[in-house]
Amino acid sequence: MSSPRTRDLAWLRTIPKTAALRVSGSVRARVAAQLPFPMVSSFDEIPAGTEVLVVAGGGTLMDEAKHFRARRRPALDLILIPSIWGSGAESSPIAVLNREAGKEICVGGEFLPDAVVYWPELLSTISPARARHACGDAWCHTLEAFLSPLASDSLRGQLAALIGEMLQLPLAVDSRWFEAGARACAMQAKSSVGLVHGIAHALEYPLRARYPEQEWGHAKLCAILLLPVMNLNCAASSKWTDLASRYAIDRDAVWCVLQRLFEPEAFAAALPFLQDNWTKILRDPCTRTNGALIRARHREEIAQVVAA
Amino acid sequence: MTNREKLKDLAVDVFLIDPAEFRLDLKREEIETWDSLGVVSLAVGIQETFGHHFTQDEAMGITGIPDIVRILEARGIRFDE
Repeated sequence: MSSPRTRDLAWLRTIPKTAALRVSGSVRARVAAQLPFPMVSSFDEIPAGTEVLVVAGGGTLMDEAKHFRARRRPALDLILIPSIWGSGAESSPIAVLNREAGKEICVGGEFLPDAVVYWPELLSTISPARARHACGDAWCHTLEAFLSPLASDSLRGQLAALIGEMLQLPLAVDSRWFEAGARACAMQAKSSVGLVHGIAHALEYPLRARYPEQEWGHAKLCAILLLPVMNLNCAASSKWTDLASRYAIDRDAVWCVLQRLFEPEAFAAALPFLQDNWTKILRDPCTRTNGALIRARHREEIAQVVAA
Repeated sequence: MTNREKLKDLAVDVFLIDPAEFRLDLKREEIETWDSLGVVSLAVGIQETFGHHFTQDEAMGITGIPDIVRILEARGIRFDE
């Protein structure tokens, strides 16, 4: 399974093929002004004869595009333009889809795009809070993959190096996060993620339904859950301490990042949903590959460890 | 807590079964959630609870609770308390 090719905007503007463009709302005007392709508002509108699908947006839209191309129009070339970092969807063979029954996770080489175009100017529209959440998403992939029971020694070595590089980045808009986020996502695809993702999968929909005016998305949940879940992992097992020591990771610096990502009020709002959905969370495939075993009693402990 | 009680707690948490369902002769095919991910979380739980890290061969060869008991007893962890 090879990585998608990285291209630039100049290359994209001159591709000698018939293309269609699907863009998420936050960057629509800017992308439409720069790219000479007809825009569609749904994948079903892509005209017959189209050779290339260009998609600009966040992880959800990119994953939908990957699934659409793989399952419905495999002859299409797919070019992704991430509008924000964190999900790493542009470089991952995984497509996570929102379904009524919950998240559907598809894995396979057919979900990789043909090319990725990084467009740093798109980042100018991102709010500081959204940027911090996207950083939390990338941190979550990295730390959960590092602690995964499915991670090899070699992969942990690569993840430890990435952790060192991510510690040098601000929790704010910075185009270097595109590469870090993509690497984190590609590496977690080789091991697994853990409880943060198990909780995020279970809570995203009910939190959005209850608080439609708030931005309850995957990245925000990852950002605010990372500290409580790492606390729980440390209470259950010495794995983080042992592995961080073995791979020379600066634990104090990582903990500072987790504390800066944590939002007590948002976590307090999510906590009742978390406790109501605990059985569903325990059954989530991501929870079952967490670095520490997650037990029924942790339903109460996850709140206590934060208070402590 | 005895090792037998620890193993029961572990099986209940890993496989999400009712405590009354646990038996020391329980077989893998009797538990719906004892799938490949169940093997992964079982290995994590055994390490945390008994300090033993399953080898890949051990993990792949487990067909039920009796195999777990046998592997742990071979490392001096007693279940006949």
